[in-house]
Amino acid sequence: MEIIMTVLASILFAIGVYNLLQKQLLRIVVGTVLVSHGAHLYLLTMSKLKRGAPPVLEDGVTQYADPLPQALILTAIVISFGVTSFLLVLAYRTYTLNKTDNMEELRGNEHD
Amino acid sequence: MIFAIFAPLIIAILIPFLSRWKEKVHTGWLILPVPVAVFIYFVQFAGPNFEPQAYSVDWIPSLDISLSFYLDGLSLLFALLISGIGALVVFYSIYYLNNKEQLGHFYTYLYIFMFAMLGVVLSDNVFVLYTFWEFTSISSFLLIGYWHHRQKSRYGALKSMLITVFGGLSLLGGLILLTIVTGTTSIREMVSQSDVILESSYLPLILTFLLLGAFTKSAQFPFHIWLPDAMEAPTPVSAYLHSATMVKAGIYLMARFSPIFAGEPNFFIFLSLFGIVTLAWGSFMAVRQTDLKGILAYSTISQLGMIMAMLGFGTEIALFAAVFHILNHATFKGSLFMVAGIVDHETGTRDIRNLGGLMTFMPISATLALFGTFSMAGVPLPFLNGFFSKEMFFEATLANAGYGGFSDFLVILIPILAVVGSIFTFVYSMYLFFGTFRGEYQKEKVPQEPHEAPKLMLLAPFILVIGVITIALFPGFFNQGLITHAADAVTGAENNRDIYFWHGLVPAFYMSIAVVVVGALLYIFKPKWDGVYRVFPGTLSFNRVYDWGVEKLETGSNAITSRYMTGSLRLYMALLLSAIFLITTTVLILTGGANFEVNDVAPITTVEVIVAIIMTVAAVATIFTHNRIGMILVVGVIGFGLAILFVLYRAPDLALTQLIVETVTVTLFMLCFYHLPNLEKAKQSITHKTINIAISSGVGLLMMVIGISAYNSRSFDSISDYFIENSSELGGGYNAVNVILVDFRGIDTLFEVAVLFGAALGIYAMIKLRRDKGAK
Amino acid sequence: MTNLMILPIVLPLIASALVAFFPNKLNIVRPVSMILSVIFTIISAYLTWYVFSNGTIVMQSGGWDAPFGISIVADPLSMLLVTTTYIVSTAAVFYAPSSLDEQQERFYFYTFFFLLVSGVAGAFMTGDLFNLFVFFEVLLIASYGLIILGNGKVQLRESLKYVLFNLFSSMLFVISVAFIYAITGTVNFAQLAERIESVDQQGILTTVGIVLFFVFAVKAAVFPLYYWLPNSYAVPNPVVSALFGALLTKVGIYSIMRVFTLIFVHDTGITHQIFLWLAVLTMVFGVIGALSTNNVKLIITYNIIPAIGFILMGIGLYTETSLAGSVYYLMHDMVIKGALFFLIGALVVAAGTSDLRKMSGVIQKFPLLGWLFFIASLVLAGIPPFSGFIGKLLLLQGGLQQEEFLVVIIALLSSLLILFSMMRIFIRGFWGEVQEGITTNRKKVRNLTIPAAILVSISVFLGIGAEAVYPHIETIANMLMDRTEYIDSVLKE
Repeated sequence: MEIIMTVLASILFAIGVYNLLQKQLLRIVVGTVLVSHGAHLYLLTMSKLKRGAPPVLEDGVTQYADPLPQALILTAIVISFGVTSFLLVLAYRTYTLNKTDNMEELRGNEHD
Repeated sequence: MIFAIFAPLIIAILIPFLSRWKEKVHTGWLILPVPVAVFIYFVQFAGPNFEPQAYSVDWIPSLDISLSFYLDGLSLLFALLISGIGALVVFYSIYYLNNKEQLGHFYTYLYIFMFAMLGVVLSDNVFVLYTFWEFTSISSFLLIGYWHHRQKSRYGALKSMLITVFGGLSLLGGLILLTIVTGTTSIREMVSQSDVILESSYLPLILTFLLLGAFTKSAQFPFHIWLPDAMEAPTPVSAYLHSATMVKAGIYLMARFSPIFAGEPNFFIFLSLFGIVTLAWGSFMAVRQTDLKGILAYSTISQLGMIMAMLGFGTEIALFAAVFHILNHATFKGSLFMVAGIVDHETGTRDIRNLGGLMTFMPISATLALFGTFSMAGVPLPFLNGFFSKEMFFEATLANAGYGGFSDFLVILIPILAVVGSIFTFVYSMYLFFGTFRGEYQKEKVPQEPHEAPKLMLLAPFILVIGVITIALFPGFFNQGLITHAADAVTGAENNRDIYFWHGLVPAFYMSIAVVVVGALLYIFKPKWDGVYRVFPGTLSFNRVYDWGVEKLETGSNAITSRYMTGSLRLYMALLLSAIFLITTTVLILTGGANFEVNDVAPITTVEVIVAIIMTVAAVATIFTHNRIGMILVVGVIGFGLAILFVLYRAPDLALTQLIVETVTVTLFMLCFYHLPNLEKAKQSITHKTINIAISSGVGLLMMVIGISAYNSRSFDSISDYFIENSSELGGGYNAVNVILVDFRGIDTLFEVAVLFGAALGIYAMIKLRRDKGAK
Repeated sequence: MTNLMILPIVLPLIASALVAFFPNKLNIVRPVSMILSVIFTIISAYLTWYVFSNGTIVMQSGGWDAPFGISIVADPLSMLLVTTTYIVSTAAVFYAPSSLDEQQERFYFYTFFFLLVSGVAGAFMTGDLFNLFVFFEVLLIASYGLIILGNGKVQLRESLKYVLFNLFSSMLFVISVAFIYAITGTVNFAQLAERIESVDQQGILTTVGIVLFFVFAVKAAVFPLYYWLPNSYAVPNPVVSALFGALLTKVGIYSIMRVFTLIFVHDTGITHQIFLWLAVLTMVFGVIGALSTNNVKLIITYNIIPAIGFILMGIGLYTETSLAGSVYYLMHDMVIKGALFFLIGALVVAAGTSDLRKMSGVIQKFPLLGWLFFIASLVLAGIPPFSGFIGKLLLLQGGLQQEEFLVVIIALLSSLLILFSMMRIFIRGFWGEVQEGITTNRKKVRNLTIPAAILVSISVFLGIGAEAVYPHIETIANMLMDRTEYIDSVLKE
């Protein structure tokens, strides 16, 4: 199962990257969301899946799922949420100011 | 002695304050005593019983860098030149620059230079030497750019800096290698370990580095091109830095290191070859110049080449002559520069085509110039020191046969080029003197009515000319007191050579005579043959290489940079991902890291596979959806799918958080989607599309391989058991994840909140600031 | 004493929250920020001195022993960089009021500023891989907040690219943590270092290490991952650029230094060799960039890149001398980059343009600015006896000892071209006839010049007074090569 989940995470990652390579701002934002989903799934998968009960201690249960990655993912999810929200607003503001959502038109006269 | 070296620096720091009174007292007067005192200090050491002296103060002992100074004959000769000519130049400049100029700047640079140059010739520690070396380059840069409103000054300043700092860095490389080989930073100890250096496999590199350093500084062919442009500096500077002192730093360096390389033929071959070519080329080019200072600049190049060549011959007589000529050149060239400055000052032009017949207006200057030019030309008269060293030079060129490493070709080539070079030296010396002071006075071409310079302005060149004569008349006095000691330092042995005028009818004398006769003929018939310079593009070709190089550096780097710095996010991402993909894959293959030996996996269940398939389909759909609502839907599906996976994988807290976050994110998406334009069908060329697919699938595959391999390479138990065992007892909670978050890894959570706080403020600022602007 | 080690991280966080309450009371916020910065600097300097004299101090947060809790490790390297951070950022606080307009200050400049400092200090001090990720995010979110200040059209456009790149590399960070956790079962630096030696599958470990390297390399702006940097650093206000240039890329290169001297040292033949070549390319492309433009802000920004190349070169060589060089260079570059961005900010105000083709003669109106810039250029190019030279000398020594001649020659040539790129500004911008449109607001330029002057003096001192600093750097390099002290002091074995 872990192998399948790694494959799934990689698919999410790859499609996320593909979206990052697009021109339209929204697609790029969607790309980042997919990449972060992929990353979280990797983290979970890497700690062995389904070994024992949820890490909420109960009497009589000796096997628990690995709690550490879960804690890390939780932190990571919250952080990505913050950053993604920021990114969304930034994308929106960039669009309203620059009047385009096409990143190729947002190159600017960068190098002179 | 350390005080003597640092005195100019201390004064340099005070000069900006002293120059406030420049309206009342010319700043030059206030600071003139310093070089005079330094000169007097050093002159005390000179004499037949001179013994080397050493002084040392710690600076950065942990890096083996100390301010250790060593005064031997060579250093003494240079220290006297630096302080002596320094004093004369300051004196001369009082009349050359009036108090409307930014005197404070001028003298600050000049004294920093004086300090740095004294440091160069007295340092025993190679890194301290290098420090002073770079400082001479920098002060030279500032002095050349002194009149920085002139475009040519800026051009010359940059050119000299680029070339000399290039050499300086190369020197640094050589010095570091020397310290690595010998394990010491002291030049004296390096000399004593000369055999270790000569056996080192780094020797070729050391030589290349050091020679580049010396050749650039001492304007050897083909690095000489900066020196003519350095003539944009005020004339006192040209007399001081660009003829008497700084340009001799490279010569000093080679003289200082020649005991180390005494057994290395390549060292001598390169020095001789570059030196002799520089001599010939410089004097040949000097004849075509029309600017007085241009002639002198090329003449300096040529004379530096001559000294370098003598160091290269490495024979006892050659080294002795080299040291002797350092002194002689400083006297006659210094005086000539000053006279050129006077001519410029009094007539308003330095173009020799406009000059002529000034003898009648400026008899004293003309007399001084007469001595200078004839001494430079090596006219065989007993009161011209130039002849003495030139004669020795000829003698040395003939003494190379059978000397280590010199091929027969070189043995024959060197005297021929020496004579050719000297002939042209004779020609331009005559041209310089007669072209300026004899011939017809061209009133209409001279901007100012010429008249003799103030007496005191003439004093400095006068003293130098006195030097020319006294050295020639009393060579023994200077020899015993100074030159022998300097030669001792270079050869590393006792020298017992006498200097005298008449050597008898030796080959060298015939060479001198040939030079005078052919030179005179060539000068007289100059108009008949100087068309050759039109055919021969001359030094301009090297200048063109430099100009081309500098221009290409700018335009070329602009072309390269604007090629990839296009501002296109897609291009940046693509380049970045490709780099990551290529390098990581290479490492993966090189290390054989891929590991597909699956062991210890959870069983596959239908529910999970179905969720995985749904998520995959949804993910693929993000690429093809062109509908806003559709997009929200598929993004939502993926997020909620992930939440389901979390539930299945015994992570209830994660599932809950993911649900909440996903809901909020989807809402945010909806808000933004509402404002942003609808998705379009991605218009991209087939090439772009192929590249994008290649990159994303490549990176995805790579991550998959690494992920599977990493999973299969588990080598340790996780540290998590500890959390399970201790969370209720020590952490006081039953939910291990929560206990980790708030207790074991509380810092993570604290700063996670800080991130949210920052994000919220950022969002607020972005939205609010717009409203403010809207209100205006 | 042990628990005080958290102060450099927590104090600015508190300050950040504090000043967020009074965004509009600038006449309070400004002096408070200045005073707090100075106090924090003194505190961290004291802690640094304490660590230098008493050795590494480890604070196990929450009292949980490593590797279970998060270890905050105050070792000499971390503390040196933390103090340097504080010095540069204090100068920035004094620079800010003259450089920003009031509206920018009110939109939480000081809050983001302190948040950034907190994140940077945390990243320098943490001994935990995932915690490093968290601090990265803290400093990044603060940098996002700073980069959008002003909300200009161009600014938002560049900010967007900046955020996207960093977001991507953050995600890659999480993925690397996942892989490393899979192999080793831990995220604590010291335990990782200990465990990594006995991993059977060294190959995959090296590969994962390289992925982690890329995460840091994106932040550090190593070739070929720096595309995002030049424009996004050149666009915001100079004070923000200075903070970014002095601190952000340095966190990236510090992380490389830490991780690839403490943890991934099992296959230096591959990893560090790659670093060496990337270092060379970084120098080359950095200086090419610096020569390619006439925008003075961009010139300075591009000059960040070769400096990173120099530091990476020392890590790649991986000898005690070269690491000492890297550490010295890192410290020096933080100070001088701050100073240069300040000076360029002042220059742009003074000249009224950032286009080199339009400015000239500025030194005649603003001599102090001109000379500071000149000295700073020499410092940057590594001319002795200033601070750049000591680092460069050690790096070159390290390179020549390892017989990496080509690398050394390219490093030497890059120094020359760095100097050239700076002299272009000096010769064309400061020299020449006084241009039109030069500002008459002398007071503003003076206020902008003074903080820069302080940083330049520190740089000069770091060179001339190297004896006061270098022995400590040597200790640090020693500790980087011999990992036992770090591991032992964290794991208490």
